Amino acid sequence: MKLTVLSFSLLGVLIIASCTNQEQEVEQKPKYLRWVGDSVYDPEIDDPTFAVCHGEGMVKQYFNFSQGFKYNGERSTLLEKIYSRYEPVDVDESGWIRIRFVVNCKGQAGRFRLTQSDENYKERAFDQRISSQLMSIVQSLSGWALMPSAEKPEDYYLYLLFKIENGNITEVLP
Amino acid sequence: MKHLFGIIAVLSGMMATAQPNCNVFLYEGDTVKYNACQVLDERAGHYQFSREYQEACDRSLAIDSTFGYPYKIKSTAYLKSGDMITWMELMNKAVELNPKEYLSYRGWCRYQFFRDYEGAIADIEELDRLVDYDIGGSVNGDYHLEIARALCYKALDEKEKAASIIEEHISSEDYYQGLFDYLHLGVLYFDLGEYDKAQAAFTAQNDHNPLAETDFYRALCYEAQGNLDQAQEWMNSAYDKYQSQTRMLESYTHHEDKIYLADIERELERIQGQN
Repeated sequence: MKLTVLSFSLLGVLIIASCTNQEQEVEQKPKYLRWVGDSVYDPEIDDPTFAVCHGEGMVKQYFNFSQGFKYNGERSTLLEKIYSRYEPVDVDESGWIRIRFVVNCKGQAGRFRLTQSDENYKERAFDQRISSQLMSIVQSLSGWALMPSAEKPEDYYLYLLFKIENGNITEVLP
Repeated sequence: MKHLFGIIAVLSGMMATAQPNCNVFLYEGDTVKYNACQVLDERAGHYQFSREYQEACDRSLAIDSTFGYPYKIKSTAYLKSGDMITWMELMNKAVELNPKEYLSYRGWCRYQFFRDYEGAIADIEELDRLVDYDIGGSVNGDYHLEIARALCYKALDEKEKAASIIEEHISSEDYYQGLFDYLHLGVLYFDLGEYDKAQAAFTAQNDHNPLAETDFYRALCYEAQGNLDQAQEWMNSAYDKYQSQTRMLESYTHHEDKIYLADIERELERIQGQN
């Protein structure tokens, strides 16, 4: 009887210790990645053939090169492609959709991530006919600029932000 | 003196990003805020996107959650990465704690990064109601916030109002000419069909800061006035300036009234076709 009680007590202590350790592990998990906005490779959604050229720790932001936003054929070409491919959706939904991704040294894009908000900057989910359509359009685009130069291209994060008003694109940033 | 006021106005926007002098809090007897301020020194040498920078801001806020500055500087990386949700959560806290200090930054960024015209106008006009001094300039130093407010009204298709805001601003005693003020005014006049006033504004812009954009709109203005020779000449000039990089450039987003090479080539071909 005493042995049984002792066994259960020990088991209880071990379970509690185990839970505490798990909590500590959760607490110890870093709150931040290397940089704000970094995207870690996710095998469930990311193209396994896409890779950065100079290592994860060397991926910059598009504006780090002091050249502004760049696209082959300039921003006007990009807008033309987006507006000609996007089919407005007749819904009462407005806000912003950001699609952030990495452009590697070969001008290829990957690791696309979607963020959606309403007009008050609160998280929301848009009708998938809007969000999925925009994701498909962005993923289908080519023409990402080699930065800072074609001779010495680096990897960088870029995003496209769509201002949506009642299912229409009214602005594209940056 | 006039220029001094202008410089102060433009710098005030940029100064919104400057770290406060921690000793001021000590002098005021607020040791908690002093300690929270001192902790921010731990950001030194770290990029604003980095874990170290973000964690230093968190440590500061853990000491004093009523300190607006760490919210603001923490928000910047989210802003520049296009994360509108986290940026606004942080900036709402900063503005709630100190509206006079942070409405300027939030209002300008709502315009520049999100083209949130109504939101930017609300913030700038609220700031103007709260303070009895000049509301200052944009964070990037390109504009006085009155010009930014006018551009927001223009985007909302209130062009007469936009033009009158700029007119009033440039006629104020303390006016200091911004980089693109007269270009935007000229384009507004052009859109409103006031071609002579548009040409005068383009001349003022060229005298101060020549740009391909100015020549582009000037060419369109000449075309509207029926002078195709001048239109072609100025469109050629726009082309040359564009090719020599004498044009609008913004590091993070893009300016209102910015043009691209394809725009010039298309208009040049069209004007040449008529001439």
